[in-house]
Amino acid sequence: MRVFNKPLLFSVAAIAGALALPHAFKSPYYIHLMTLALIWIVLAQGQNLTQGFVGYVSIAQAGFMGIGAYISTLLTMKFGVSVWTTLVIAPLLTGAMAILAGYPSLRVKGHYFSIVTLAYNMVIFIVLMTFSALTGGEAGIPDVPRPSELTLFGHVFSFEGRSNLNYYALALTAAVLATTCCAFVLHSRAGRVMLAIRQNEDLAEAMGVVTSRYKLFAFVMSSILAGLAGTLYAHYIGFLNPEPFGVDQSLNIILAVILGGSGTLTGPIVGAVSVTFLPEILRFADSFRLITYGLILVVATIFLPKGLVPLVASLWRWLRASQPNTSHNKPANKA
Amino acid sequence: MNELLQQIFNGLAIGSVYTLVALGLTVVFGILGIAHFAHGSLAMFGGYLTFVFSTTMGLPLFASMALAMPVGAVLGMLIERLAYRPVRDAPHINAFIIALGLTMMLEGGNLLLFGADQVIIQTPYQKVFELGGIFVAQLRMVVIVTSVTLVAVVTFLLLKTKTGKSVRAVAQNRHAAVLMGVNVNLVSSVVFAISSALGVAAGALIGALLALAPGVGESFAVKGFAVLILGGLGSLPGAILGGLVLGVSESLAAGFLSSAYKDVISFLIMILVLLVMPQGLMGKK
Repeated sequence: MRVFNKPLLFSVAAIAGALALPHAFKSPYYIHLMTLALIWIVLAQGQNLTQGFVGYVSIAQAGFMGIGAYISTLLTMKFGVSVWTTLVIAPLLTGAMAILAGYPSLRVKGHYFSIVTLAYNMVIFIVLMTFSALTGGEAGIPDVPRPSELTLFGHVFSFEGRSNLNYYALALTAAVLATTCCAFVLHSRAGRVMLAIRQNEDLAEAMGVVTSRYKLFAFVMSSILAGLAGTLYAHYIGFLNPEPFGVDQSLNIILAVILGGSGTLTGPIVGAVSVTFLPEILRFADSFRLITYGLILVVATIFLPKGLVPLVASLWRWLRASQPNTSHNKPANKA
Repeated sequence: MNELLQQIFNGLAIGSVYTLVALGLTVVFGILGIAHFAHGSLAMFGGYLTFVFSTTMGLPLFASMALAMPVGAVLGMLIERLAYRPVRDAPHINAFIIALGLTMMLEGGNLLLFGADQVIIQTPYQKVFELGGIFVAQLRMVVIVTSVTLVAVVTFLLLKTKTGKSVRAVAQNRHAAVLMGVNVNLVSSVVFAISSALGVAAGALIGALLALAPGVGESFAVKGFAVLILGGLGSLPGAILGGLVLGVSESLAAGFLSSAYKDVISFLIMILVLLVMPQGLMGKK
């Protein structure tokens, strides 16, 4: 009998590491970047549900992130709703919009689904840009509030200020929650149906599975996570305009999932962190960034279609297998 | 009434460009099964190149376009050889993700080479005629005639030449075509050359009629695919009809509803078609 569950142990270590990380890097700039990376993990886990599990590449993730961001911002600023409430409401409303959007788009398969979702992202972007009476247009909305102070066990947690450690913890909670949700989905019946759709949709249908229902479920859940990421983003940055929610950003999210390893749970985490830190490390002009990202996407798809995480995992297994000692460490079970 | 006719005429001009874009997409999709999303950005590259030729060398529109089209064709063949061919036997989704990567690369390349400013290709076709109460801009006529000519030439190439026949053979049944001695690699290159040259022409016409700017290529690629969905997948007449329908409806929407939301309206039409008749206007049931 196994005493402990390896993935669980690994997750606990990862969370503890993530909590300790800001204390190791005291630079506020790194805390800022890591907070963004955590928000990106929520986004990429959502994208992975459709792209990695079901095999339908949606190019609207940034658009739904924008919907979540604007819904939450408008609810707090125009209607005085508390940020804690909108953190729950805004993702759900984004999911409701995704039901409307997903129904017609999921009638088409493969590439055409992607094209239709791309059209959605463009529509969302145009509306955010043009409907300036509500969204402030390109000039945007300044002074988006942070969540109010929270009193837990007698401690007061404030979320104000740049590179706030409590906001980092909030983003970490969201990232852990998103990853846990995806893990549950992956190991449930719905998750197995999703993988079946990716492998052979016609066969899955022939087996009597109503595939459209599962595709819609994945799409809506993916959008809820996008909405959550958008909400966290808006209240963290404090200034909202349509620019981060364009098609380019959706392509970056696809890159994050491909690079890390689509269809895995750790892949989107690795991908999201890489995509957040890469431009900071490379310090490129925007045109070079596009070329480099595009090149990485093309080269990764040709030579590394499974992504970094499965590559590292198989390298690790290969290294262990090639060491003769390790095989002797296991006690022989022969009676 | 005149206003209506005017908008329909304007719509036909832009619609004929949509047809050109969609034609380039439909040959690649119909024959190789690749949703070549980078087509729009390649078209913009061709448009910019036409602009550079016409301003630095002082060439007229059609001469610069004729120079830019082979460059685009070679670029298209390179893209096919280096990026798409390695994933020919992988799941289709991989080719599409590569198309997205190529889009980013081409958009970045355009930004780097030609800058972020909006560019309009100057032409001498500035006259406006009045015909039965509607104003016919010479430039729009030129655009329509050019598109019709190019569509006719490509249709002729596909239907009447030996290469065209092998292209269609691959589209119908790839394995049988290989057994009959058709060189599939050559066909792939030819298809990408034709498609990219058409794209460059479309980009040049867009540059003359509207403007070239970052991001325009992506929106044209989406509209190209919208035309395919409207017209019915893999149908050549469908691509022509779909392009014109999309152009006219967009123009009517801009004239009578709101010009800021004209793209939104054209995408809504696409979504409506998907809901009501997913096989498209000319597609088989």
